[in-house]
Amino acid sequence: MSLFGIAWRNIRQRAMTSGLTALSMALGVALVVATLVTGGVVKQAFESGAGLGYNMIIGAKGSPLQLVLNSVYLISKPIENISWQTYEQFLPGSARADGIDGTFAASSQTAVPICMGDYFHGHRVVGTNAAYFDRLSRGDGQPFRFRAGQNFSDDDLYTAVLGSQVAANLKISVGDQIAPTHGADDGKVHDPFRVVGILDRTDTPVDRGVYVNMEGFYLQEGHAKPVEEDAEADNEKNAEPDRLPDGRLPYNQREVTAILLETASLPGLPAELTAMGLRNAINEGRDAQAALPIAEIRVLLDLFVSPLELLLLLVTTLVVIVSAIGILVSMVGSSLERSRDVAIMRALGARRGVVLATVLVEAILLAVGGGGLGWLLGHGVVGLIGPWIATNAGVSAGFFSFTPAELLLVPFLIALAILAALLPAIAAYRTDVARWLG
Amino acid sequence: MESVVSSPAAAAPPVIELSGVRKAFAVPGGEPLTILDIPAFTVAAGDLVALEGQSGSGKSTLLNVIAGILRPDAGSVKIAGIDIVKLAEPMRDRLRADRVGLVFQQFNLLPGFTALENVLVAMGFGSRPADRSRAEALLTAVGLADRLHHKPAALSIGQQQRVAVARALANRPRVLLADEPTASIDPAHQQQVIDLLQTSCRDEQVSLVVVTHAPEVAKQFPVRYRLEDFNLAAAAHAPAASQSASTGGRL
Repeated sequence: MSLFGIAWRNIRQRAMTSGLTALSMALGVALVVATLVTGGVVKQAFESGAGLGYNMIIGAKGSPLQLVLNSVYLISKPIENISWQTYEQFLPGSARADGIDGTFAASSQTAVPICMGDYFHGHRVVGTNAAYFDRLSRGDGQPFRFRAGQNFSDDDLYTAVLGSQVAANLKISVGDQIAPTHGADDGKVHDPFRVVGILDRTDTPVDRGVYVNMEGFYLQEGHAKPVEEDAEADNEKNAEPDRLPDGRLPYNQREVTAILLETASLPGLPAELTAMGLRNAINEGRDAQAALPIAEIRVLLDLFVSPLELLLLLVTTLVVIVSAIGILVSMVGSSLERSRDVAIMRALGARRGVVLATVLVEAILLAVGGGGLGWLLGHGVVGLIGPWIATNAGVSAGFFSFTPAELLLVPFLIALAILAALLPAIAAYRTDVARWLG
Repeated sequence: MESVVSSPAAAAPPVIELSGVRKAFAVPGGEPLTILDIPAFTVAAGDLVALEGQSGSGKSTLLNVIAGILRPDAGSVKIAGIDIVKLAEPMRDRLRADRVGLVFQQFNLLPGFTALENVLVAMGFGSRPADRSRAEALLTAVGLADRLHHKPAALSIGQQQRVAVARALANRPRVLLADEPTASIDPAHQQQVIDLLQTSCRDEQVSLVVVTHAPEVAKQFPVRYRLEDFNLAAAAHAPAASQSASTGGRL
């Protein structure tokens, strides 16, 4: 009978104690695995650059991190708005009223404006144009797909597209009308927008966003920027802004909250240098700031997430170590019974090394068995909370999410088991056979 | 005058051969207490021997010394011609697994293992690979064909002792040492155990040394010794009337 066979029968002989010890190990390892996997996928998603279709965000001067959190993750408050003229600096002449290329048009490949400030049943309302879904991507580099309906048209002013979670939570279908509120859910109710499309699940913050045509958004009360000379001249006139011939808000009364920008390569310059030059040029100006979402998120990770993850990992590792001490306690607790068994085996001809190895193998089986169970449990937990992580952190985590650090668990558990079982194993090694069988 | 104890089958080579064996144990705050002082003792191959002795006469110590579990302070202990005193402990362990079978008063079965596994475990410590069919045959021979997969707790006392006998014979030993094998068994079953040991050892051609304090057990063996008669240390503590070292100890 092999060492494993003998060790396994010893474990079964003390089934209750062994089971509880393994369970304690499983819970500890589950916590470690859940922490590792969650932290791993969050970092991986951010550090891989997560193909969003843009690499720079232009917004009002202030905290670049706040700008990123607000624009990408739909959390935190918008800093301020930037002028329409700032937005137009990134547009080619063909997209501008004056037909002249913007200052930064050559450095811009895609520039998508977003306007924020409204809510719909707790969800952020984002005013944007059709390019958001036509030109940007859903985070994994893939284009946006619609579960129902289609993208709105820039010409159809009162239309909206919903993230999958919003549609599911509020049970809204294509064709339904939604009326956002100004500033907060108890704010003034705006005109209704017709839902024309519902997005496929993206496992990103887009799932919980409400996207309305920016042109309709501008026409809502309180969304037009007061024109200074008008403000002085006639307050009543401000309350009812002028319209362009096609019914849209005049450009001088417009503002945007941020611009999602995919930079282009200037001739003879690598893309990175173009982006760096553009960023410096914008930040040196007075009108706006440019933030690199990936860099900002990395700062966030380094400043807060990584230390927090390290702390969590330390705590969960301590739990595993306590579980390993559980193995030691369980083995010391059964030492009387074990000494007799060891003495019997020694009398039958088992060498000291064999009985020592049997005790170590028993501990390793408990640790690795419990650890294996904990691994499954940990991934199960991640699978369960995956959708919550997806919508709140904007990254996809599921049962099969894996991080290479998990591989270290096996040697770690074996080393821990050997350490925990060393004393009982040495005691077994030194068992006085004649005394126990006498 | 030194006592020399030999079993009667003088023609057969000795399977156990003790010479000048001494063993003493430390006593807290006192002189070491000598338990064994045996000038010579042999058991021939195939002998069925009963060793009688009073409590404290060193019976169990002697068996442990013969089995190589305890190392004597002096002298030689040869099992099938090999002086185990000179062997390193791992070699002694291996030799014990291969050539010495042990049956204890408390049976000492491993509680987490079935009857069959108890026999297989013993085989696993020997030089030869574990032989499942032999293990089953041995258990069948001791009347436990229908109890192979029962754990000790599910066996009667008598059945447990049968498993112990089968386990002791697992590696085809040259000698089987039994320490008070009937002491924990009710009188009705004692005879069965004695018959089982003798029959099994005859069938397997194994020398048998049974230590007992019960004369009614000892008298059933063709060769009987009193420990006090060849262990000078025991004789020193025993009543004068029982000392017969000069007779060679054979009864």
